[in-house]
Amino acid sequence: MTLKEKLTILADSAKYDASCSSSGSTRKNTGGLGNASYSGICHSFASDGRCISLLKILMTNCCIYDCKYCLNRKSNNIKRAIFTPEEICAITINFYRRNYIEGLFLSSGIIKSPDYTMELMIKTITLLRTKYHFNGYIHAKAIPGASEPLLKKLGKLVDRLSANIELPTSASLKLLAPNKNDNAVTKIMAYVKNNHSKYYVPAGQSTQMIIGATKETDLDIMAKSESLYKSYNLKRVFYSAYIPVNHDKLLPTLQTPPLKRENRLYQADWLLRYYGFTVNDILSPDNPNFNLLLDPKADYALRHLAEFPKEINTANYYELLKVPGIGVTSAKRIIKSRAYFKITFNDLKKMGVVLKRAKYFITCNNRYCLDKSLFKKDFIESNLILENPQIHNSNLTQLSLFHE
Amino acid sequence: MNKIYIYEDTFLNLLTLIAYLTQYHVTPTNIKTSNYSPNLFEENITLNLKNNPKIIAYLKENYSYPLKIMYYVYLSSDTNKELIIYYFYLNLQKYRHQLLNMRNLKCVSASLKISHYVQNEAHKLKGFIRFTELTNKVLYAKVNPTNNVLIILANHFKKRLPNEYWIIHDENHHLLSIYDKKNIYLINEKNLQLNLQSTSTTYEDLWCAFYDTIGIKERKNIRCQMNFMPKKYWSNIIEMRNQNEKSN
Ligand code: SF4
Repeated sequence: MTLKEKLTILADSAKYDASCSSSGSTRKNTGGLGNASYSGICHSFASDGRCISLLKILMTNCCIYDCKYCLNRKSNNIKRAIFTPEEICAITINFYRRNYIEGLFLSSGIIKSPDYTMELMIKTITLLRTKYHFNGYIHAKAIPGASEPLLKKLGKLVDRLSANIELPTSASLKLLAPNKNDNAVTKIMAYVKNNHSKYYVPAGQSTQMIIGATKETDLDIMAKSESLYKSYNLKRVFYSAYIPVNHDKLLPTLQTPPLKRENRLYQADWLLRYYGFTVNDILSPDNPNFNLLLDPKADYALRHLAEFPKEINTANYYELLKVPGIGVTSAKRIIKSRAYFKITFNDLKKMGVVLKRAKYFITCNNRYCLDKSLFKKDFIESNLILENPQIHNSNLTQLSLFHE
Repeated sequence: MNKIYIYEDTFLNLLTLIAYLTQYHVTPTNIKTSNYSPNLFEENITLNLKNNPKIIAYLKENYSYPLKIMYYVYLSSDTNKELIIYYFYLNLQKYRHQLLNMRNLKCVSASLKISHYVQNEAHKLKGFIRFTELTNKVLYAKVNPTNNVLIILANHFKKRLPNEYWIIHDENHHLLSIYDKKNIYLINEKNLQLNLQSTSTTYEDLWCAFYDTIGIKERKNIRCQMNFMPKKYWSNIIEMRNQNEKSN
């Protein structure tokens, strides 16, 4: 098998992992090749629009497990390949020198045992760091079930170490990934959290959940994320719209992956991490799934219209953040600027506020920019929905169907 | 007559001129480099001032962030950049450390916007640059940036590839930055003859194979891809060059 065939097989098997981030590490150049960029760098964008930052590959796609949703499961009859440590190093180094990548994202199917697999990964990455003096970014996937001494070793070599939770509940995991248990995954997370330092997994850990392969509601998923963020100090939870690669009676048949839903989950995740929202603010048992026509923040604002309009010149930081069209940067700018002058609608544009969304929810010096009688849920809702460019292009026919 | 003040195209020379103008309360109609051709109502004025490095030292010490912003505006391709820097500098004397909060001043909002745009382009190109290996082991890359970001890129790669010889060639601004494992040299392209013979394409082929594999076809989204990676950069991104050929 040529190196190119191997690379194609092992990249193809790795592509479903959503994480590509290369941020969060300050690894310096210590005489060899490369360094890390704290804010991360995207080197290319794939045909699906996702950032390519790391050489994302599996060490091998051979696996002793049989997770239902996975292309590499034991029972699939597919071409198998395995990289040698030297091959991975040669590709990484030569891609890096030519500035194709920020570094390596190494994951693997499980051969023989979790420990055996992890040892091979450690061998590869050790070679890269010591023989080739590589100081670029490395993200490794820990193999659930591997022993602590190996986690310790691997974590010292990489910038990010993570384990995928895969499914939002342990019941689902039992159903679709019978050889895995979420204990093994959370054990890794706890270990990484407790040992995290400048020298151990400096860029922190992340995880991924597959969306739409099982029955959970958005509320179940977000509640899981919230608890993961709290318990394990995760940098990110990635959501990956389920893409059917296998036929199995336990798996749903979907025409297209639930991308819109995935997008809503990312938006809500953002609200949790940076905007001071809790899951209870945006979802509830009577309202357990996201509105596909409106983003979660606009949806929140419309369901809590009594809290609005907010006065730009007096509302506090977190109140400003609740306004659709105002983000973290623009909220900070507003707070800083209004110490020096009274902000008008005209100034807001210069501060990065998306006025066509924000205008319904704010006043400037007690002036509302529309006719006050238009401050009504129906009016604002329909305007916001029609403003969304995606709707214009793809869903307009669908939308008009609803309205007829 | 409208007075156009002329500077040599360096940041130091521009700041020297601006400092002089503000000190003597001269309001310029515009500030331009020497290749500017004035119209009927304008005249070019060259003051022959001696560069004053103390200004930069002073600003660095007291106003390092505003200095950075003026520098990025200087690197931009904005046709009004000198005047924007002039008014920014003028207002810096007046508002000092509060200046950057005064976004209702045109010179502030424009400076911040332009400097953001320049930094953004530099950041993007840090990712999009593609080196090829020449037969003499030198890494060579061509770029076509809108703004003059070559020096930012060179500093980035000095930290990242300190043990390689490399050349970055900005075709739009006709400049090359050359790194000899120690220092960066900026050279005008007409002063250099390059032999661009490259070595084997093994890794380029591997990279293109990787690129073609990694996109998930069920999620295909070309609009999003082009948003993040504008087409104007594609000619130098090897995996995209191939996409062009494929679709032709
Ligand atoms: S452990 Fe499961 S998800 Fe991982 S490679 Fe094996 S079959 Fe696939």
